[in-house]
Amino acid sequence: MTAHASVRAAAGEPAGGTAPGTVIETTALTKRYPGQVIALDELTVSVASGITGLVGANGAGKSTLIKILLGLLPATKGRASVLGHDCERGGEQIRALTGYMPEHDCLLPDVTATEFVTHLGRISGLPPTAAKERAAESLRHVGLYEERYRQIGTYSTGMKQRVKLAQALVGDPRLLLLDEPTIGLDPAGRASMLELIGRIGADFGISIIVASHLLGELEQICDHIVAVEAGKLLRADTITSFTQASQVLIIEVEEGTARLLEELTRRGLGPRPQDRAVLVRLADETTYDAVRDAVADLGLPLNRMERRRHRIEELFRDDQAEPSEMTGAADAR
Amino acid sequence: MPADVASPGPAAAPGPLGPSAQGPGVPVAASGVIHDLGYRRYDGKRLGRAQIARALCWHSLRSAFGIGRGVKAKIVPVITFGIMCLPAIINAVAVAVSTSHARIIPYDTYVPALRVLVMTVFIAAQAPELVSRDLRSHVLPLYFARPLRRIDYPLAKLAAFVIACLIMIEIPLLLLYIGTVMQAHGLSAIWAQTRALTPGLLVGLMWAAVLAAIGLVLASFSGRRAYATGAIAIFFFLTWTLARLLSHIAERVGHAVPVHGGPVVFKAAGTIPAGVHLAGLISPFTVLDGVREWLGGTSSGIIPDPGGYGVTYGLMLLVLLGASIGALIGRYQKVGIA
Repeated sequence: MTAHASVRAAAGEPAGGTAPGTVIETTALTKRYPGQVIALDELTVSVASGITGLVGANGAGKSTLIKILLGLLPATKGRASVLGHDCERGGEQIRALTGYMPEHDCLLPDVTATEFVTHLGRISGLPPTAAKERAAESLRHVGLYEERYRQIGTYSTGMKQRVKLAQALVGDPRLLLLDEPTIGLDPAGRASMLELIGRIGADFGISIIVASHLLGELEQICDHIVAVEAGKLLRADTITSFTQASQVLIIEVEEGTARLLEELTRRGLGPRPQDRAVLVRLADETTYDAVRDAVADLGLPLNRMERRRHRIEELFRDDQAEPSEMTGAADAR
Repeated sequence: MPADVASPGPAAAPGPLGPSAQGPGVPVAASGVIHDLGYRRYDGKRLGRAQIARALCWHSLRSAFGIGRGVKAKIVPVITFGIMCLPAIINAVAVAVSTSHARIIPYDTYVPALRVLVMTVFIAAQAPELVSRDLRSHVLPLYFARPLRRIDYPLAKLAAFVIACLIMIEIPLLLLYIGTVMQAHGLSAIWAQTRALTPGLLVGLMWAAVLAAIGLVLASFSGRRAYATGAIAIFFFLTWTLARLLSHIAERVGHAVPVHGGPVVFKAAGTIPAGVHLAGLISPFTVLDGVREWLGGTSSGIIPDPGGYGVTYGLMLLVLLGASIGALIGRYQKVGIA
């Protein structure tokens, strides 16, 4: 309650620093569309500052939640507030403090990135000169400084995603709502987009909500995770509690994985291969010694030996980190 | 002295152009690589909703004439504007060379057929530029996620397009006025021209408001430029043709078509059947012209005097304007944000 009050005070004067505390708060938030479709079902969640992942399958209610948070859609029941402003009544104040990056393509192909972002900076309420300066700066932050005078239509998918991020950033928001920011990107593009988001959250002092259906991505950058399913809150927690250490040892060798597997089987450790690594159930401290001895006996170059962490994919599974069940913990995409 | 004229280039360039004004002399980021040069908060002034709407209006007005876009976007506005100004220029020449120095084109109607044609082309080509583009590229979520309210977007676009149409209609009238006044002798002659111009400008305002509203609402229903342009062109031409056709038929038949059962009032001139009058209610252009005549327009326009139906034309004008603006606002209440 006190944390909430301090956010309210800070949000009153936008020039103030980021208040540590609650950024988003919802109470029994429910959204029912005509035809009895329930998009959000009694969702009560409190999001602290930092980077928060909003996880859920397609249709879990992520986009509906974002629209309600921006004050663009009235809730059927319940309350929501963003940066201390009520979503129903304070939509304009919220939108002045929030940058939104939609999931879908939303760029004009026949204008330059500079023109586009400058124009949207004006619509965010910046005076003409400030809009120009901040557009250049936003494009620099997302790594498009050199290409900023090119027409957006000539950009690659990755560059377009960055323009979308730059336009969300141009108004100097206190909060960014990013809807599926890595959609359509190749693995390299995805990694650099995530790195960029991580940097904005950590170095720029801007709180970020990243909605995604890819759990593996959020693991890399988020401080907190809010998981929703069918409009209901599945779990909300810090990332560390989601990915606490498990009782599985992962071993990676430079070469001779097959021989290592054989040797470990001989020593009765019941190893399982995973990609290029080997998983072994961690019984007690002696397991470490046994593995070390096996590797040493074979004279293999050891790259890695550590306790494997839970992947947040396992959130949605009943089983908990049995080696026999873990072979398919690949990314959803 | 000549050295002075040549030198300002290098002297003036570094100041306003260099990005150094905003960063402490930082190196430019290499292509595609993200360099963290520190994030700077914005502590300056922020504009309110009304000022943001004005910025959107200004931006839209510029795009109505292709300003800030490529050369291709300027072709239609420049050509249509040029054609629209031609009669005024011809008038200026005629006034200058004739002995009577009399104006050859009326202010209240200008050149009716030309105005109908040019405005149809201008609106069909440029209304989609203002609204269909944003729909097509799904830019609206970006607007609505900003402090603007839903109603602000269509109203800003409408204001911009009304101003654009005013420029198309009123500037030729002003040229007509200037071309005439330049040859006028005496203050009384100038005053007479000014008095004659004023109703013309008001008629132009009526034209701009009605045509812009109809054009925008038609364009706002399609994200595809070609469809939007086609819909607008077909609507304006079809109703225009139909109005004239029905008017002709009614005249041929020569009988008054009884409507509303009310008394049919003919003007002194006599035998114009009611159908001729009422046919004009079909097209926005003929409605506008009917209202002009009802309000006391003196020149013979594109339809016969509406006679006792003047009020009907006035109401029709209000209905057209109200329905178009209402539909336009309604359109943007519904359009999705994501």
